[in-house]
Amino acid sequence: MISPETFHVVSTELVVGAFSVSGLSFLFCLLLHLDVLKKEDWKPLFDNVAHFTLAFGLAATPFAVLSGLSSAPGDGLNSPILVNKMFLSMTGMGFAIGVFISRWRLSQRVWATSKTATVQCITGLAACGSMLLTASAGGTFLRGESLIDVLSLPYETVLLFPTAISGIGLAIGIGLLVLGWLRMNAASSVH
Amino acid sequence: MNFNQRVYTVLFLSILLIGSAYGAAEPGGNGDATRDMQCGGACHGDAALNETSLATLTLSSPSTVYAGIPTTLTLTATNLSLSSTGVVGFFLLTDTTGHSDTPQDAGWEILSDSNGGSANYVEQTLSSGQAETSVSWVVRSSNEGFTPFYAAIHHGGSSKPFFAVTSTGYDVEAKEIPENLPRLAADFIPQSTRILDVPTVLTLQTEFTESVQVQWKVEGGAVMSAQVNTSGDNMWSATLPAALQPATLQWRAVLQGEGPDQTTPWFTLTAEEAGWEIEEFAVYLQAFSLLFLIAGAVLALQSRLTPREVSSKYDQTDLLPLSLDADPAIESVTEGLSEESETAPLPAGGLPNGWNEDQWKWYGHDYLAGKYGGGQE
Repeated sequence: MISPETFHVVSTELVVGAFSVSGLSFLFCLLLHLDVLKKEDWKPLFDNVAHFTLAFGLAATPFAVLSGLSSAPGDGLNSPILVNKMFLSMTGMGFAIGVFISRWRLSQRVWATSKTATVQCITGLAACGSMLLTASAGGTFLRGESLIDVLSLPYETVLLFPTAISGIGLAIGIGLLVLGWLRMNAASSVH
Repeated sequence: MNFNQRVYTVLFLSILLIGSAYGAAEPGGNGDATRDMQCGGACHGDAALNETSLATLTLSSPSTVYAGIPTTLTLTATNLSLSSTGVVGFFLLTDTTGHSDTPQDAGWEILSDSNGGSANYVEQTLSSGQAETSVSWVVRSSNEGFTPFYAAIHHGGSSKPFFAVTSTGYDVEAKEIPENLPRLAADFIPQSTRILDVPTVLTLQTEFTESVQVQWKVEGGAVMSAQVNTSGDNMWSATLPAALQPATLQWRAVLQGEGPDQTTPWFTLTAEEAGWEIEEFAVYLQAFSLLFLIAGAVLALQSRLTPREVSSKYDQTDLLPLSLDADPAIESVTEGLSEESETAPLPAGGLPNGWNEDQWKWYGHDYLAGKYGGGQE
């Protein structure tokens, strides 16, 4: 039986590795669909890699979050960095879920216009960025330093909304999710 | 990949490899911890990059050390020449093999270090021009006998890491403890941290002790006495005043009993801010709110931007060719269908017996072809 610390390291490496490849592939997708790179045959390649690695990273993220909570020293959320890690990882998961469902339900039509392609790629990059920031915060928490320390990110400051605002945000989020899902179902090419 | 691209790639990778040797250094220090000497040689990247420090290291201890009783080992470093950051790290070691060489590996317990922790490697940040400093460790041996102690130093300067270790061991003999010597309990672990703004009650467990005095001091201040109460047989409590800001305080106990009076080492107590707290329910709620809000927003946006495709599983027009006229095969099939669909001419006597019009429409040709009794009944 491995310790939560080791399991957290393993799952975190999977998440960071998968999201890094995904982010890089989304960057290529963006360049390809904006015709900055003119390689038609690369489009399906990076499309597949970006979304497959995104799905893999997404599947590993809950394990990383849960093992991170159980392996953190002390009881519960006893550091602002841990709270910010939680927010960042959930934000990244939100972006990733949005991207994944869009690609799944709309299939190739996410690349139909430059607007949808840009939204898909930027959102995928945002998911990747959020996850890398989460990993960076982990480095700051454990070792007191991280590669992204040059940005002087305010990891020690927590922006915590009142419970009511968070509750309303949750309700709106679920509403948007259902609405988006239904609209996609109505227009979906998957029967 | 053409020749120029290959050259650029090799150059780029070479720069990365060269940069890694210096980029791996940790000029800001590595933090107090229990570390082998190997770390002092290798924590700044390649150990071969280390220059020899010119610092002079001297270890000292009380003249008499008993097994099981805490004692102080002091390291004095002189002739220091540090980097601009002034960060310097000191090791307390029990051999110089580079691994398994900490006091703990030799059966010595570090109860306190001068930074308020309990590590064999401690760092200090010295002011510019400061060429001398000292660090101390409160240690306790579990066994009698001689133990050689070594000290090592690690610091920066002139854009290079510097390292040095004492060449000969400083022997410390842990003697058998006299029977009636007043002393702290064998399993006593000193408190190392306390919270700001709250007076600290130290609890001491002793053996062969009839009275206790507790003294404390802050850096550069006079030695003060704390009020001590007994709470039972060989159990004592002393109250130290509250700290108003993060700082260290040192305290020691003077123990009196049947045997000769004993004074403990100075133990370091660090004042810290109270632990950070937050309402966890609000955090989890906001985290899930972020997840659903962002995922929902992305889905809603994409479903709105994506052009709608009117499609039906019953619509198979895409399977047909663009123009029926253009396809001769389709034309011949439709012609054939047109001929066969014509109703056969009725015989002179009208419908055969037992036939109705609908049957004749579909099977009349077969009747005339003789498939139903040679064409005549």
